[in-house]
Amino acid sequence: MKCPRCQTADGTICKEGKENGQIVWTIYYCNACGFTWRDSEPEDTLDPNLRPAAFKLDPTRPADYPLIIPPRKS
Amino acid sequence: MTQHVDQPAGHIRSLRDFLELLKTQEQCITWPETVMPEPDIRNIAVAAGRDMMGGPAIIFDKIRGYPGKRLVLGVHGSFANIAAVLGQPKNTSIKNLFYNLVSRWSGQSGALPRIKPELSPVHEVRIEKDFNLYDLLPLYRINAYDGGFYFGKANVVSRDPQDPDHFGKQNVGIYRIQPHGCDHFTLFSAPVHDLGRQMEAAERHQLPLKIAVMLGNHPAMAMFAATPIGYEESEYAYASAMMGAPIELTESGNGLDIQANCEICIEAEYVHGQRLFEGPFGEFPGSYSGVRRVPVFKVTGISHRQNPIFENIYIGKGWTEHDTLIGLNTSAPIYSALKKDFPEVEAVNALYHHGLTAIIAVKNRFGGFAKSVALRALGTPHGLMYLKNLIMVDADVDPFDLNQVMWALSVRTRAGDIQVLDNMAGIPVDPSAVVAGKGHHLIIDATTNVAPDPVGADVQMVTPPAGKQIDQLASLIQKLQEATK
Repeated sequence: MKCPRCQTADGTICKEGKENGQIVWTIYYCNACGFTWRDSEPEDTLDPNLRPAAFKLDPTRPADYPLIIPPRKS
Repeated sequence: MTQHVDQPAGHIRSLRDFLELLKTQEQCITWPETVMPEPDIRNIAVAAGRDMMGGPAIIFDKIRGYPGKRLVLGVHGSFANIAAVLGQPKNTSIKNLFYNLVSRWSGQSGALPRIKPELSPVHEVRIEKDFNLYDLLPLYRINAYDGGFYFGKANVVSRDPQDPDHFGKQNVGIYRIQPHGCDHFTLFSAPVHDLGRQMEAAERHQLPLKIAVMLGNHPAMAMFAATPIGYEESEYAYASAMMGAPIELTESGNGLDIQANCEICIEAEYVHGQRLFEGPFGEFPGSYSGVRRVPVFKVTGISHRQNPIFENIYIGKGWTEHDTLIGLNTSAPIYSALKKDFPEVEAVNALYHHGLTAIIAVKNRFGGFAKSVALRALGTPHGLMYLKNLIMVDADVDPFDLNQVMWALSVRTRAGDIQVLDNMAGIPVDPSAVVAGKGHHLIIDATTNVAPDPVGADVQMVTPPAGKQIDQLASLIQKLQEATK
């Protein structure tokens, strides 16, 4: 499943919510951009076409995002 | 300052005790319907924020996909609930809650009894492997465009990696936490904060840094852990002193001092060198903080009470629980700092968005005096970045009564009473900032003009009757009105 935020297809299933043995939703984690989502959320969260540009992320451009505590240079 | 400290009503040792107390005061409800994690929980939390004076805590125990899990929001979501923490009647005015809090603000020592780990409720259930935060907690997205399912109200314990045996340097703070996958999370703390400083030291010197994330805490810890105190002062001792009641401690599985009665404790260790994208997260000014690359922690152990309650918070465009939780704690240290130099200061209302707008009531000794008091407020540790708009009013104006404040603004300001200090330090998350971290301070001196300022036209003010007799008459009017129902 593609990430709604960065469109990378590198998601891990974290949890399947179950009731009476039936799956009612699934939580995914994107290993590329760190986004977490549940497949039962409203469309504006899940549909990349509805997601404002300000809430998208390009994981191939990490330098665009500030480092809070820089890692030690080895 | 008096040393009077009220006991909280009942003997509160834990979140559970406090919820029971709130129920007896009709200040805690259980949501009757089944809810979807998104958007139902968010919608209900926003609706609850409309009643800042009297709204209840809300327990959710029917969340789709999380059978048997419990969540509580709004524990500190109204001033009626804050009054309960302080052992005051639920209809206590904000001004009187403020005076109650500042009366606790000096010199008492806390009581921190130790409970053996095997006797501590938090260790009733112990998990040592196969960690999955999503199995443990009914997690959900707080605001629609948050980057993940945040913990917004955790107390995080950490020790100085360069002095790990020093109890006072053990820090307890509230930091936002974003789970990454089943058993990792990012923790946002800039180096100006205690834990950020410790993470920076752990990274620079390649030292281990273990933390304990406590969820579902004693209501005093949730209130007071966010109050800025000295680096070598213990937040536990401070919270206990402020409550005038003991806070029971025990040891976490990774050797930190934790609340023996907290609902859940997640133990974790710092992962050197790794950074993950953190955010966005809807923050207290009502705007999202952006995405940053932030240090990572790996879960190493979990303890929790039987049938634990996950306590979280709604935070975003106010009014929200965040505003009630920290409002009085933001006001009290500013008052305390000012009062030392200027006993003329009567009260400080910094309830608005962590003090981005604040009102200070002061006896105006001479023309220009209130402006000097304002400048002193801007020089306090909190004031230098947070006090953006500062309104100075006379001592006869209740700064917590906005009708009175607006009256003062209307009739006691002149052009020369408005001063703007531009290009000053500001908070990075102010959405109006042109440059994040910079901004203005605005001072509006709405105190009466006194000599040597010219008083101007020959104006005589009305002095309406006040005091006990008028209070009793107001109360009688209310009763007569109720009798007509």
